[in-house]
Amino acid sequence: MDFNKDILKIDCEKESRRIEQFIRKQVFENFRKKGIVIGISGGIDSAVVAALSVRAIGADKVIGLILPEKESNPISAQYAELLIKKLAIYSETVEITPMLESFNTYQKREIIVKKYFPSFNSMWKFRLTMPQNLLEKDRFNISSLEVQNPEGNIESKRLSSKDYLGMVAATDIKQRVRMIMLYYFAEKNNYIVTGTTNVPETMQGFFVKHGDGGVDIEPISHLYKTQVYQMAEFLQVPKEIINRTPSPDTYSFVVSDKELYFCLPYDILDLLLYAKKNKISIDKVGEALNLEKEQIERVFRDFDYKKQATNHLRQLPPVLNIL
Amino acid sequence: MSYINIVKEFIIETFLFGDDRNLQNDTSFLNNGIIDSTGMLELITFLEETFSISIMDDELIPKNLDSINNVNAFITKKLGNDTET
Repeated sequence: MDFNKDILKIDCEKESRRIEQFIRKQVFENFRKKGIVIGISGGIDSAVVAALSVRAIGADKVIGLILPEKESNPISAQYAELLIKKLAIYSETVEITPMLESFNTYQKREIIVKKYFPSFNSMWKFRLTMPQNLLEKDRFNISSLEVQNPEGNIESKRLSSKDYLGMVAATDIKQRVRMIMLYYFAEKNNYIVTGTTNVPETMQGFFVKHGDGGVDIEPISHLYKTQVYQMAEFLQVPKEIINRTPSPDTYSFVVSDKELYFCLPYDILDLLLYAKKNKISIDKVGEALNLEKEQIERVFRDFDYKKQATNHLRQLPPVLNIL
Repeated sequence: MSYINIVKEFIIETFLFGDDRNLQNDTSFLNNGIIDSTGMLELITFLEETFSISIMDDELIPKNLDSINNVNAFITKKLGNDTET
């Protein structure tokens, strides 16, 4: 099988038609519903799915929800509004901070941060990050808690396993609350909810089960991130959204997808994921991407570890008897 | 002194739910799906608390932590170094 840096180039017009057909078929034939609800994050994935949904079933059958909370980057809602205006779809903004406060989401996380940084207060920002040296050396995917004080000084500490799990569980409430709101709007309009997960997120488990993974259809789960960018250009998604660094936008201290989870830029990540999935020889991959055998093997091992660690996210509940 | 039994017992109880599954001392935890990254954090916390040591970020590498033998050698070195200093 051939392998080169352009292997993920797609015919966007053809791909758009294919996805539009899929969306129409799912909404009207499979689910027999009247339209689509989508969470508009201000990022590229939801922008592409929203644009495809409008092309597939019409702007009058697509509802876009903006679901900010107090730690969201303000630019997210601005970009979301930009997209909604361009697509001319109905939208509502629901501030989810009160719901998150009712779960003590912020308090749960602050208690953990204060254990490690006692001076931490609401003026500080924090995030989780992973070591970024995946191509350079063997290491584990162990996250650190990074804080930034109002003077801009950054400090980092490793969390205990209990505190790490507590931090992730509390943070994931954000995506799960958003899922609840999306389904509220879907049910009351007799619509379905569409997801926006792409290949790297699906394969490597970078989504929240019953959060952003809690949806009825996934129209771009077969597209690599660099293909999502190609589609965004084709669909004329606003440049501001295309040029934005991808981020889950769940921590007060802005963190990119790469810093939080993938540890590689998307152009390399996509090609290596493709190579591994399609069993391209290490020699061919190394030649095309100018990487050493050792580097590629290390990344492939990392893919396996992440996939294995997130298997439960992709599983439906096992049942004793299939009805 | 060997720390193999302490580490092995922790691995079997914590990650294999009491079933040793013929766990060998040189079995890679990661490559055999015994421990994932969150589990690795659990192992690190256990080692730090049990042996009263601090494990630095640059020590978080498979050579130190990805098998019972590796952990044993790492702890031996750490405690030896701690004694010297």
